[in-house]
Amino acid sequence: MTTTIQPRLTQVFRFVRHAYTNGVVELVYAFDDGAELIEKIYFPEAPALPPNRAEAFARALQLLHLIAGVSYYKAGVPPTIEVAAGPLDDATADVLDALYLHGLAEFAYRNGLDLRGRIAFPRGGSAPSAATSLALPKRTLVPIGGGKDSLVAVEAIKAVGGDATAVWVGNSPLIAACAERTGLPMLNIQRELAPGLFELNRLGAWNGHIPVTAVNSAILAVAAVLYGYDSIAFANERSASVATLEYDGLQVNHQWSKGYAFEQLLGNWLRTHVAADLDYCSLLRPYSELAITRAFAKLTPYFDTFSSCNRNFKLLGPKPADRWCGHCPKCHFVFLALAPFLSKPRLLGIFGRNLLDDEAQSAGFDALMEYQDHKPFECVGEGAEARAAMFALSQRPEWQEDALVARFHSEILPQLDPALLALEPWLQPDAEHRVPARLQPALAIIG
Amino acid sequence: MKFGGTSVATLPRWQNILELVASRRAEGARVLVVVSALTGITDALKQMCAQTAADLRLLSAQAIAQRHHELLGHMQLALPETLAARLHDLAGLAAHGAGDLAWQAQVQAHGELMSSALGAAFLSANGLSTEWLDARECLEAVTLPNQNERTRLLSAIVDSQPDPVLSAHLEARGDVFITQGFIAREGVDPDDASNKGGRTVLLGRGGSDTSASYFGALLKALRVEIWTDVAGMFTANPRQVPGARLLRRLDYEEAQEIATTGAKVLHPRCLSPLRLPRVPLLIKDTNRPELAGTRIGPELREEAPSIKAISTRKGITLVSMESVGMWQQVGFLADVFNQFKQHGLSVDLIGSAETNVTVSLDPTENLLDSDVLAALATDLAKVCRVKVIAPCAAVTMVGRGMRSMLHRLNPVMAEFGQHRVHMISQSSNNLNLTFVVDENVVDGMLPQLHEQLVRAGAMRTDDADLFGPTWEGIYGAETAPHDEAWWLNERKKLMQLAEQRSPRYVYHLGTIRERARALKAKLPVDRLFYAIKANSHPAILRALADEGLGLECVSPGELARVADTVPAATPRLFTPNFAPRSDYRDALEAGVMVTLDSLHPMEHWVETFDGHDISLRIDLGRGSGHHDKVRTGGSTSKFGLPLDQLDAFVHLANARHARIVGLHAHLGSGVLEPGHWAEVYAQLASLAERIPSVEFLNIGGGLGVPSHPGEQPLDLDAVGEALAEVKRLYPRYQLWMEPGRFLVAEAGVLLAKVTQLKGKGSWRYLGVDAGMHNLIRPALYDAWHEIVNLTRFNEPATAMYQVVGPICESGDVLGSDRRLPESHEGDVVLIATTGAYGQVMSSPYNLRGPAEEIIIE
Repeated sequence: MTTTIQPRLTQVFRFVRHAYTNGVVELVYAFDDGAELIEKIYFPEAPALPPNRAEAFARALQLLHLIAGVSYYKAGVPPTIEVAAGPLDDATADVLDALYLHGLAEFAYRNGLDLRGRIAFPRGGSAPSAATSLALPKRTLVPIGGGKDSLVAVEAIKAVGGDATAVWVGNSPLIAACAERTGLPMLNIQRELAPGLFELNRLGAWNGHIPVTAVNSAILAVAAVLYGYDSIAFANERSASVATLEYDGLQVNHQWSKGYAFEQLLGNWLRTHVAADLDYCSLLRPYSELAITRAFAKLTPYFDTFSSCNRNFKLLGPKPADRWCGHCPKCHFVFLALAPFLSKPRLLGIFGRNLLDDEAQSAGFDALMEYQDHKPFECVGEGAEARAAMFALSQRPEWQEDALVARFHSEILPQLDPALLALEPWLQPDAEHRVPARLQPALAIIG
Repeated sequence: MKFGGTSVATLPRWQNILELVASRRAEGARVLVVVSALTGITDALKQMCAQTAADLRLLSAQAIAQRHHELLGHMQLALPETLAARLHDLAGLAAHGAGDLAWQAQVQAHGELMSSALGAAFLSANGLSTEWLDARECLEAVTLPNQNERTRLLSAIVDSQPDPVLSAHLEARGDVFITQGFIAREGVDPDDASNKGGRTVLLGRGGSDTSASYFGALLKALRVEIWTDVAGMFTANPRQVPGARLLRRLDYEEAQEIATTGAKVLHPRCLSPLRLPRVPLLIKDTNRPELAGTRIGPELREEAPSIKAISTRKGITLVSMESVGMWQQVGFLADVFNQFKQHGLSVDLIGSAETNVTVSLDPTENLLDSDVLAALATDLAKVCRVKVIAPCAAVTMVGRGMRSMLHRLNPVMAEFGQHRVHMISQSSNNLNLTFVVDENVVDGMLPQLHEQLVRAGAMRTDDADLFGPTWEGIYGAETAPHDEAWWLNERKKLMQLAEQRSPRYVYHLGTIRERARALKAKLPVDRLFYAIKANSHPAILRALADEGLGLECVSPGELARVADTVPAATPRLFTPNFAPRSDYRDALEAGVMVTLDSLHPMEHWVETFDGHDISLRIDLGRGSGHHDKVRTGGSTSKFGLPLDQLDAFVHLANARHARIVGLHAHLGSGVLEPGHWAEVYAQLASLAERIPSVEFLNIGGGLGVPSHPGEQPLDLDAVGEALAEVKRLYPRYQLWMEPGRFLVAEAGVLLAKVTQLKGKGSWRYLGVDAGMHNLIRPALYDAWHEIVNLTRFNEPATAMYQVVGPICESGDVLGSDRRLPESHEGDVVLIATTGAYGQVMSSPYNLRGPAEEIIIE
């Protein structure tokens, strides 16, 4: 055993090595000369890799090693990053520099750190030959999150007869239940963090939010090459690109790795470095949260299964309170965003209670509307969207006597510009997206 | 006798029917059997109706016919003519599908027509000559003004005046008949000459039970028997309250109320036809015909008023209408209610005040999936202020003479007092009392309420004539019989001890060790701490330390007791509440794990916790337990850090380099619900995930000990299984528990001697030399302790006593309304389950001195 290290005083973060055998990926990291941190990722029933995909697989795997390192790097945030395999080509280093800087921006803000100038992946390696087309089968990996967004994406692909597999990483019973309900074939990939990370935490490591969607994206890129899929269709919506706040000249976005900037970076990189026929996109990119909740309001069969609540429900019960904590920003936002599109008894049945008639929740809803507060560090819609939804409710007799709606009407509404409160503009899609031609009919279904 | 779909689906079930009908014949009764369709057939027929292509319908019809052929095969019967005719008709209907409602009714009627034809053949072939009767010859639907074609054909209502002509006709035909549930014949429409009636109609939901009632009324039967898969109606939904009792007897109104407010066993519609002809209805379990079941009839017998059942309905929406100006105005209510009618919404409960009227709506599809509520609210908003409150649940208590029982409902009111009650409704027929509360609180409440009703004497489960066995007792898994109390075998020794001196506490160490071993064996805990406040007798501490338990203390005194008594290596935990700063400092210096439960110490006591490992007690926002005073969660309790201060606490602890290595919650005492601890565990685990330094989760104690006779002991296996499931999900955390009372309560008894007897009116007081100065639990918590006269152990309990102590307080009552043998001065009395919170809570009040404590192995 090596001597006990002080995570916050480490000097070097090292990408030691990675390997793949029989469906199991091993990713190895270390701080200074400390013990190796070994993460494992399990791909179930992994097929033998066709020889023509070996090169692509190796490159996707290396990217996974580099991206998944963010979970460990953040424990110490040392000044130097070393990659044992040698320096990266510039394009790859660009992706990683950007991901570590922006993806850890909230972490840095909360811990009072400034990562600018600190994150520099070794670069200058020779650029690999351009990736070719692998003739990947025309089918799509759709990551399921248990929330409404991925279910809207799934149903849109099902509606146009697309060939798709519901995929998720980890062992959440909530996601498993939702995936089951989709009726699609399922793929459940397991990720096992290095046990040494818990030890580092005990020793006082830095802690905070990491860009987990980037890690999952890299895992799915490996899966797409391994199992043979030509597309990965996430369900990240338009507002994911909007920063939570700006601090000291740097945009801090809680969901940066769900944003369009990262989608473009990774999507382009995969095409040049892994396979020319592998598409990485978000099917919901053109849509606002409100447009998506409107689409979801028609998907009654999921109402008693889904949850967007970010409390980690490892035990699922039959009651709404077993899926919705009712106190977190996600609960608040989904409640508010669904309300204009569902009958009130139906909505309250989903949540098991009326969050808008509970005075104790007023600070939470204020934050969503960016009233006297900044938008929460959560994957929630834009403040203006929340205000539009609240305004719509305040105009409806079955809602307007509820405590927080009445409060909005009397206290907040007089300070707002009524011209900016209409719901309809939010329901219009943007043009910006990277959805491949094969899946574009599904895009139209949602709006 | 009516049999449902599962009862007619297989040969063994038909053999069962044969036996039951034969037994009624043997009693001299003439029997009419009413049957449903075979399980699944009605659904198959509905699906067939929905198919537009004739060839698909024919395929469905063939599959349906096949089910009946197979059953005939099992019965080793040839195809009877009656059934052949039905199958032929069905094929014809499938081929020429008209699609209209009349055709649909005809198709769906075939389920019962076929099952009854099959049954007639089976019963006759097995020696019970049975006539097949077409229900449509006997049951004629009435035409009502508010019916449309759909309700007329698919949810018909039958006029069931007793019909002596029909009775006579059947008497001439035979002794055993079989007919169809669910179907009837359309009557002549007096307002529409073109409609001559005669079409096949259906009775809608619960139709087969209703058919049986119609026949019972028409024929003025001796009784109607509904044979089903449960023994009858229960005092509560047994899935929520396993201790619910079978109701042996109910009157029509009570039964109808219970059926309407939640019980699923009987459709409420099927009682009203029987009321006028006073035909009783009996619910019986097909699988357990020996059980008495529930008898519903016109009750005349005098009985003490009692609540018979408590039920809940969920998904209720309240519409509250507030108006200042218009209330006195004539026709305001009529206008308001007209709006509900206009929007097709049916109002259930109504509550009103001078300026407010609130009504409840049941969760119909119309309400959930259309804009109807929004439209209603818009219209109502023109005349008053509207507020829509949902999701709510109605909790209804049913019992004749409700208003005379209100004074007994104190604990029930206290239970409701913890939640928002939106509406209370009590009908003038004095049968029910309904509380409308938020839906999310109701599941947890029901078992509590049921227990409170029993404890408060509002549900008189002591009346064995009305209340049968518990659901658990009838259907529950075979549970090991509750261990016999140790003192039953030690009576002679206990008598001697009491003769020497009284009052005396006696503790049985064997029982304590046995409880400790049971916990270690059955619960997947990493460390157990005994909460020594329950009983800090040195011999008990040593015995439990020997068993490998740690000790949990709440004061410097307890810590000192532990230090003087057990080896220094025994793990210790210090979990005080509102203790002074010095207590914490001393405990930390002694190397004891300290639990904080508020922000104050972290905020204000600057160096005390710097660099230390600490544990944090959290208030999860709710409490549990057998009495208000033992609930230790929720804002009204002084324990625990409220959740909304957790982030602040963690922040302060980080700043002081105090590591939060454990999270703790303890919601209350005397909990008998096995899932409780796993729930606390999972909640703590999900909170711990936010705090990387956490290593253990301490889920407290509160393991309940049964006190009333017949009360089921806590199912430790179930507790263990539930905990193990959480443990699999959160393997990172060690699991700690700190039981107290569970380990020692049953090991202790309080011995006393009878001092004096007194009669006062109809009350009889039995004085003993132990009192509230020795045992305060009855006075403080309304705790119930079994009381036994050891001197006259085998004599019949013919007297009813108030057992009281010698203290000058009216509250010095150890047990009220106790059935005991006629007792005399000097008799030795044993007060059971007093090993916990007995001597440790005793007081010097009245200077009678403490009871001596004796340890036996």
